[in-house]
Amino acid sequence: MLFNTLNFAFFLPVILLLYWFATNRNLKVQNILLLISSYFFYACWDYRFLFLLVFSTALDFFSGVKIYQSQTKNQKRFWLWLSISINLGFLSVFKYYDFFAESFSNLLSAIGIQTNFWTLRLILPVGISFYTFHGLSYIIDVYKNRIKSENNIVDYAVFVSFFPLLVAGPIERATHLLPQIKTQRVFNNSNFIDGLKQILWGLFKKVVIADNCAVFVNMIFDNSSEYSGSTLVLGAVLFAFQIYGDFSGYSDIAQGVARLFGIDLLRNFAFPYFSRDIAEFWRRWHISLSSWFKDYVYIPLGGSKGSKWQQIRNVFIIFLLSGFWHGANYTFIFWGLLHAIYFLPLLLFNRNRNNIETVASNRILPNLREFFQMIYTFGFTTFAWIFFRANNINQAFSYVAVVFSKSLFSVPQIVPKLTLLSLLIFIVIEWNGRRNQYAISDLLVKNSIVLRWSFYYMLVFCILYFSNNHQQFIYFQF
Amino acid sequence: MENIKAKIALFAIPILLFWGITEYFYRTIPNNYSVKNQYIENHSKDIEVLLFGDSHCLYGLNPSYFSKHTFNLSNVSQTIYFDKLLLLEHIDNLPNLKQVVFCIEYTNLSQKDDTDEDQFRKYYYQYFMDLKVPIIKDYDIKQYSLALTQNFKKTIDLYIRYLKTGTILDCNPDGWGNNYKKENRISPETVAKNRAQSQEDGSTDFNLNIARMDTIIAECNKRKIKVLIVSMPQTKIYTSYLNPKKLKSIFKTCNQFQENNNRTVHYLNLFNDNRFTDEDFYDADHLNDQGAKKCSKIVNAYLNSISSN
Repeated sequence: MLFNTLNFAFFLPVILLLYWFATNRNLKVQNILLLISSYFFYACWDYRFLFLLVFSTALDFFSGVKIYQSQTKNQKRFWLWLSISINLGFLSVFKYYDFFAESFSNLLSAIGIQTNFWTLRLILPVGISFYTFHGLSYIIDVYKNRIKSENNIVDYAVFVSFFPLLVAGPIERATHLLPQIKTQRVFNNSNFIDGLKQILWGLFKKVVIADNCAVFVNMIFDNSSEYSGSTLVLGAVLFAFQIYGDFSGYSDIAQGVARLFGIDLLRNFAFPYFSRDIAEFWRRWHISLSSWFKDYVYIPLGGSKGSKWQQIRNVFIIFLLSGFWHGANYTFIFWGLLHAIYFLPLLLFNRNRNNIETVASNRILPNLREFFQMIYTFGFTTFAWIFFRANNINQAFSYVAVVFSKSLFSVPQIVPKLTLLSLLIFIVIEWNGRRNQYAISDLLVKNSIVLRWSFYYMLVFCILYFSNNHQQFIYFQF
Repeated sequence: MENIKAKIALFAIPILLFWGITEYFYRTIPNNYSVKNQYIENHSKDIEVLLFGDSHCLYGLNPSYFSKHTFNLSNVSQTIYFDKLLLLEHIDNLPNLKQVVFCIEYTNLSQKDDTDEDQFRKYYYQYFMDLKVPIIKDYDIKQYSLALTQNFKKTIDLYIRYLKTGTILDCNPDGWGNNYKKENRISPETVAKNRAQSQEDGSTDFNLNIARMDTIIAECNKRKIKVLIVSMPQTKIYTSYLNPKKLKSIFKTCNQFQENNNRTVHYLNLFNDNRFTDEDFYDADHLNDQGAKKCSKIVNAYLNSISSN
C-alpha cells in the first residue's frame, strides 16, 4: 500500500478512528491495533514476505531477552552475533547474493575460468534494509547496556513494524521509539494539525515535485546517448530534486502519519540542498541512516579519534557501506566513494564541523559566500547522483563523458517549463521554512484563515492534478 | 478534539462537494461506453455485423461504409478480455448477428489482464456496459465511485471539454471513433518509435488470449456466426520498430485460427498492406478518416465475399 494511493486514504482514517475512539482507553489494545494494521499494511504489498518480518522480529526480541539475561560476556556475545548473523544473512541472501555471485563469476571468467554460479533472482522484500537495521540497533543497544531488553513482544513488534516507517524509514532507535510505544498517547490538537500539514507537504513533494521530475529524468537517463551535455546536466539536476522530493516527501508523510497517532519519529531530512559543504549535507540528508552508521559502525571503528589515516579509513568504510546499503550495484558503491572523496578535504583540514547552524539563520537571504557554497555543494552532490541513478556503471561514465563535452554549452533539447517553474516555487517555500521541521509548518500561520486555507487547497489541487503519474517511491527498492 | 473535528469537516466540505458533482457528472453525461451500450440494446434486432478491438478498430473501421447493419463495439485499449465479455453478454440478444470482426495486431495477443490501461476502464465496462468484470475485486473501493476511477487531471480536462463542446463523446452513433486527438503531433518517426516502445511488453506468451479467442470462436460457431480476424494497417515506420519474430508469431497464430476453423473463421492481414500510405494515418498506427474509409471498404468487401461461402 503506497502513501499516495486511494487505498491508503481509506486505510488511515479507519485505523485512526479505531485508535482514538475505540481503543484509546487501553494501551495494550491500542498497540495490538497498531501491530495488526502494520502487518496488514505490509501484507498488502506482499503477504508472502510477512513471515520474514515476523521471524526477524521474533529473533531480535528473543535475542534481546537472552542478551539481557546472560550472566557472562561470552553468552551475551553469542546471542548478539547469532542475531546479527541471521539478520545480515537474510539481507545478504535477498539483496546481495546475486551481485556477489555474478561479480565473482565475472572475475573468474576474466582470468579464463568459466563458471556457472547459480543466481537466485529473488524478489527483494520491501523494507528489509530498514527493519533489519531497526532490529540491529535494538540488539546492539541491549548488548551495550544502553537499554533494557523489551519484555512485551507486541510492543517490540510495533517498534519494528509501525507502518509509517516500516518500508522506508526513518530508521528508528529503540531508545527513542519504544518508550513512546509503552506510554499512553494523549490526543493533542496542534500535534494532529501539524501531522496533517506535514502529510500534505510530503504528498506535494512526492506527487508534484518528484513524480513530475521523474518523467523527464526517466526520459533523459533512458536515452542518455541521444541527448546533449546540457540536457544531461538538466537530467541530473532534475534527478537531484526527484530523489529529494521522493524520499523526504515519504519521510514527511511517515512523520506526519505517526504524529496523527501521537508518536514522534526521528527527523530524516533537514533541507540538505541548503548545505554549505558535504559534511553539512550528510548531517541533513537521510539523517537516520547517517546517524545509524555513525553510532554503530563509525564510532566503534574509532570515529574521528586515532590517527588521520584511521580517520580516513573510517570515513571511506562508512561511505562505501552507505552506498552498498542502497543496493547491490557498483553505481551505489561509486556514489558512496565519491562522497568519501568529497569529505576527505574537510576531514584533513578539520573543517567538517564548520557549518552546524542553519544557513543565514537570522537573515532572509544568504550572503554571496554562502550562496556559492550552497551552489557548489549542490553541484557535487548532483554529480554523484548521476552514478546513483544510472542503470550501470558504464552508463554513468558515458553520461559523465557527454556532460563534459562541447554539447554542454548548447541549449538543452528538453526544457520542462512547468516543472522548472514548480521547482522554483518549491525552492522558495523550502528556503522560507528552512528553520522549521518541515517547510510549511509555520507558513501563513499568522495570516488569516482564508489565506492559509487557500494555500492548503492549492496544495490539495496540485496533488490531485498531478496524481495521475504514479511513480514508485525510490527508497522502497532499498 | 471537538475543535479539530469541526475544522477537518469544514476543510473537507469543498472537496466532498467537488467529489459529489464529479460523481454526478460521470454517471449522467453520455460517454463512449454508455452510448455504445444504449445503441446495442436499442438496435439488438437490426445488428448484423459487430466490430471488436482497440483504438485501431475504433478509428479504423467506420460502419457507414459497410453494406450490412454494422456497429463498432471497440474502444480505446479494449483487450480481448473485454471483447469476450462483451460478445458473451450480447450474443444471445442479437438474433440477426451474422459476422463478428476482431482486430488483432501487435499488442492484443500478449496482453495481460488488469494492466494500467484497464485501471479506469474496467469500472466503466462494469457500470455503463452492464458487464460482470471478474478482475474487479469485491473489496475494490473504486467500483462504488466513478469519480475515484479517473485521475483528477483527466476529470478537469473532461469538465473543460464538456463546457466548451457540450459532449465528452469520442464516437459517432455507429460507434466509430471520430475524435482522435491531433495535438502534440511530433515527428512521425519519434511517435512511431515511442509507440512501438510503449507497446512492447516483451511477451510472446499468447496462451491466455488464444484460449479466449477459442471460446469466442466456439460460441460463434454454435450460433453460425462467422468470425473475421483482421490485422489492421500500420505505417511502415512503426512496423520497422516492432519485434519481427513476435510479429511473425502473431500472424501465424491468426492463420492458425483460420486453419483450425475451416470456413467459420477467416483472417485478413492488412498489417503491411501496400494500399495504405502515410497519408492514411493520423500517426504511427491509427488510420485517419480517409484511411478508415479505405480500410472499411476492404473489410466490407471481404465480409461480403465470405458471407456467400
